[in-house]
Amino acid sequence: MDIFIQQILNGLSIASVITLIAIGVTLIFGLTGIINFAHGEFLMIGGIVTWLAVSAGLGFPLAVVLAILAVGLMGYILERGLFRFTLERPTNGFIVSLGLIVVLQHVVVLFWNPNQKSIPRPLTTVWEVGGVRIASVRVMVIAITIAVVALSFRMITASRYGRALRASVEDRDTAALMGIPVRRYITGVFVLGSALAGLGGALLIALFPITPFTGGTMVMKGFAVALIGGLGNIYGAVAAGLILGIVEGFSAGYGFSQWTDAYSFALMILVLIVRPHGLFGGTSGPRMAS
Amino acid sequence: MTEGLHQDRAGCGLKALRSLLPVLVILALIALVPLFSPSNRFLSLAISAGINVIALYGLSVLFGQTGILSMGHAALVGVGAYAAAILARDFGVGFWAALPAAALASAAFAMIVGIPSLRVGGHHFVIMTFAFGQLLAIVLTNGGDYTGAATGLDLAGPVTLFGADMSDLTRYYLMVVAFVTTAAVASWAIINSSYGRTLRAIRENEKLAASLGINVGRHKIGAFVVSGIFAGISGVLLAYFLGHISPSQFSSFPSIYLALMVMIGGARLIEGPLAGGILVAFLPEVLNLDPVQSRIVYGVCLIAVIMLLPDGLIGGVVRALRAALSGKPKPETQQRNATPSEARR
Repeated sequence: MDIFIQQILNGLSIASVITLIAIGVTLIFGLTGIINFAHGEFLMIGGIVTWLAVSAGLGFPLAVVLAILAVGLMGYILERGLFRFTLERPTNGFIVSLGLIVVLQHVVVLFWNPNQKSIPRPLTTVWEVGGVRIASVRVMVIAITIAVVALSFRMITASRYGRALRASVEDRDTAALMGIPVRRYITGVFVLGSALAGLGGALLIALFPITPFTGGTMVMKGFAVALIGGLGNIYGAVAAGLILGIVEGFSAGYGFSQWTDAYSFALMILVLIVRPHGLFGGTSGPRMAS
Repeated sequence: MTEGLHQDRAGCGLKALRSLLPVLVILALIALVPLFSPSNRFLSLAISAGINVIALYGLSVLFGQTGILSMGHAALVGVGAYAAAILARDFGVGFWAALPAAALASAAFAMIVGIPSLRVGGHHFVIMTFAFGQLLAIVLTNGGDYTGAATGLDLAGPVTLFGADMSDLTRYYLMVVAFVTTAAVASWAIINSSYGRTLRAIRENEKLAASLGINVGRHKIGAFVVSGIFAGISGVLLAYFLGHISPSQFSSFPSIYLALMVMIGGARLIEGPLAGGILVAFLPEVLNLDPVQSRIVYGVCLIAVIMLLPDGLIGGVVRALRAALSGKPKPETQQRNATPSEARR
């Protein structure tokens, strides 16, 4: 029983990071139709920035803020410089993101070598509750994610900006006709998604060492979660993140750890075959004016 | 516009043949390279490039003609390579018998992946193929002794042709050139057949094609299977050339590099895959870059090509030459015709 709870906790802490990616992925896709594979590299850069900041002697909280700001800024620059021009052809946006994967990974390798990078755990306390060992750092990751996700929800469901955003996801052209500055929202979503990925990277490096190639697997899991939940559907992404976290936690706890990475993909393929729009229903991308 | 960009009208004999001619001339010149006693390093690079080009011709049928982008092409190559290695180990099957068997295995795998993936349509296909690629790598890694786990399999069979040993680098080089030629001719034949026109109709407008009675789903899967045949053959050549294969060679990142090559070269023109494969293989040599730097250059090239030359490098050069020769600006319609992914809405 104690192993069981511990594994669920482990699964959930990784699922937190994946959910943070999935929200960015799902929002960007919902609004622009761009499948941004480079989102995992945004996460990786977030981790690297945290590592650099902590190695330079800064505290972890400050490093997290730096990672969020740096990756958010990067998202802004990339959207203005590249993705803006691919809005009419989302496939081109996808291909650009492939190029970005290669470039970002190897720029990091070039400057900071391909080896694993880790920081000392920001919280080292381990609580013992009834024989269950709970690492506080994992609890921190889960708590921060819950807070951030709740905040994003609140923004998206309750504020007028959120309503405008949802309207734009639903139908870009009509939203634009209603006077919503859709282009600016697209930039905003890129920045928000990137900032969340930056946070995800910072949290990930608090849990595990990362390499410049960590982004690839993580983004696939992010996409798996986004697709399982239904692309464009944030609730779906969070729910699917939970499911995946629990499944991965179980598998690691019961001796199938070498297959851990396979579950997300297998689950995704299965869900897509049975329900092509995801478990909770999503958009199939923005309707393009033809 | 003559050949190239307006392949749709090039169905009639002579014109179609003319589009094949440049590739044949280039390949004939490439086949003469051993006369200049190149270094072993050059030959190895050229062989790897050629093996990639064969796979790229399959990808160009899929992406260039049908407008479907696969991120699992390296997985199909991997199926071919593993099929060759396992057949040689367990059944003593040699190179030539492994070719059709591996092509069949890759085609079957493509069909298994294609049926569910294409059912979900559009953007999901890319992600599905990517996921299948990753899954294959995981399965191969966890396959125990049968697939050799993470270290992979060795393959030490001799390749003979009419009793002559082909393992020698120069001979293997010539053989790969012959295979590349076959692949180019096959892809040219597909482009200029009524089948190719059907695929292009699907690329340009799926709904319209369906309304004309074209079975869109079946043809898309068919195109994926065809790309699998090319990939399988390329896999056999790769396995016998390297003598050792491992799962990481066929995961999704090699697939990204294949997609990158075909797009840098240009997926629609028959010269595209050849140019892309050669360019990506030799660019680091020419510019004297280390692998990390050259990858950055590839990535930047890909982004630049997509943003600036949607036809790929060769298409762009051809268009620029034509514009310079005729001296008149391009009308809007041709610009539209030349952009990939038009059909993807």
